[in-house]
Amino acid sequence: MSWKDAAEPVLTRMPTVRRPEGHVPFKRKLLWTAGILMVYFFLTNINPFGLAAGQSSDFFGQFRSILAGESGSLLQVGIGPIVTASIVLQLLGGANLLGLDTSDPRDQVLYQGLQKLLVFIVTGLTAAPMVFSGGFLPVDQSVASALGVSVFAVQVLIFAQIFVGGVLILFMDEIVSKWGVGSGVGLFIIAAVSQQLVGGFFSFSALGQSGFFARWVAIITGNEEIGSPFTADGLQSLLFEPGSLLALFTTIFIFGVVVYAESVRVEIPLSHARVKGARGRFPVKLIYASVLPMILVRALQANVQFLGQILNSQWAAMPTWLGAYNDQGTPISGFFYYVAPIQQPGQWMWFLGETTAEPWMIAVRVAIDLTVMVVGGAIFAIFWVETTDMGPEATAKQIQNSGMQIPGFRRNPQVVEKVMERYIPQVTVIGGALVGLLAVMANMLGTVGGVSGTGLLLAVSITYKLYEEIAEEQLMEMHPMMRQMFGNE
Amino acid sequence: MSSGQNSGGLMSSAGLVRYFESEDRNAIRIDPKTVLAFAVLFGVFVQIVSLAV
Repeated sequence: MSWKDAAEPVLTRMPTVRRPEGHVPFKRKLLWTAGILMVYFFLTNINPFGLAAGQSSDFFGQFRSILAGESGSLLQVGIGPIVTASIVLQLLGGANLLGLDTSDPRDQVLYQGLQKLLVFIVTGLTAAPMVFSGGFLPVDQSVASALGVSVFAVQVLIFAQIFVGGVLILFMDEIVSKWGVGSGVGLFIIAAVSQQLVGGFFSFSALGQSGFFARWVAIITGNEEIGSPFTADGLQSLLFEPGSLLALFTTIFIFGVVVYAESVRVEIPLSHARVKGARGRFPVKLIYASVLPMILVRALQANVQFLGQILNSQWAAMPTWLGAYNDQGTPISGFFYYVAPIQQPGQWMWFLGETTAEPWMIAVRVAIDLTVMVVGGAIFAIFWVETTDMGPEATAKQIQNSGMQIPGFRRNPQVVEKVMERYIPQVTVIGGALVGLLAVMANMLGTVGGVSGTGLLLAVSITYKLYEEIAEEQLMEMHPMMRQMFGNE
Repeated sequence: MSSGQNSGGLMSSAGLVRYFESEDRNAIRIDPKTVLAFAVLFGVFVQIVSLAV
């Protein structure tokens, strides 16, 4: 008996969101998406009951802009558990250890169930150290005494609330995927990044922190001294604080590069086997695997850092070669320092005086970050293409089933697969490595609003995808015939 | 039949979580409205309890 038979009764009974019967009109889809977005923002503003307000420190730290959610809110865990569960599935699926064939209906059901069960487990595993290891989500003592229970009981309460929040994120993602446009995960990343970006541009001192525009108004009106731009100090304040010209440059640069890279593609011509004159193209984009594998690599780094945080808070005698932490809970030397990705310019620009690390330590850290992102980006891109049925074999089948063929080649899936094999693996590896490189560079240069470069990269790319999807939806709305071709009926 | 017809349809735009067409008859099905209503009520409930205690 394989594990499938043993696990089937559990995995097939996982709660799922009902599928719409028939076609959902585009306007309805937009309404569902907007509704989910509003509920998401609403929940990020609610603090769990029993939490000492304003005293929590963010467990995710700089990874927050990729993992969405909000520190000290019901959505504390964000999409972290979904991403981590996805890594596990990608690795298992990529190495073909699961033995699940995703074209078989029974295996599809099992895959979905396993996916959901994993997210539930990881949500618990993520939320537990946040609540119970102290420090990150401190309990409000007055609540414990008002209820007449122990601190531990209140911790259990907070844990339960955060767990429910994490489960809600999963179901909201499912609603967007089935009833709305795009995916919930993408939507939440865009929401988190855009919120920070808009804040970084338009915030003013009355709101707590001056944004980009507010600072420049102050510079132009002479309220903020920056000195002559021809001196080293003046140049530095123009490029970094308060001028942030470098951040502005990086932000615009990432927008430009992502939109450009999305349009770079190898197009394989197709023609219809029966309908003469019906032609199409199969695009193999430079970022064929999309930027989503990047989240997986970053989340892997994040999980290593979480482990460091937990060890640091629980193990007083942690050897310094493993990691030494400062009072803010950031690693300053040891293993956990070197494997921490660079998140902001201040972390590597030794001349700014924001870091106490030696230049050679910084160099090692940048080299490790770069290697992990480029190699990891390529590897996860390959896994991604395989598990999402975008590989040569799967696409050849799809092209065959849609009645198309590559002109000049025999109409046979194996022949089409051969042609696809010339392009897809190479483009996937190059694209994955390129996105990794870009993500490291964007993080190092910094962006407006302190969004991590990777976060911005993800948000721009996901938005672009969303735009394409909306355009496709509208096309189908106008020509119902198209729906049959896309097979969405 | 525009030439761009295949640009979107064949590409998978799956998110991190994949949902397939096939579902088991045993699965517990939840209406999306139920999820939304629960999420809103849950938030309101937590807020009220926080204010009350």
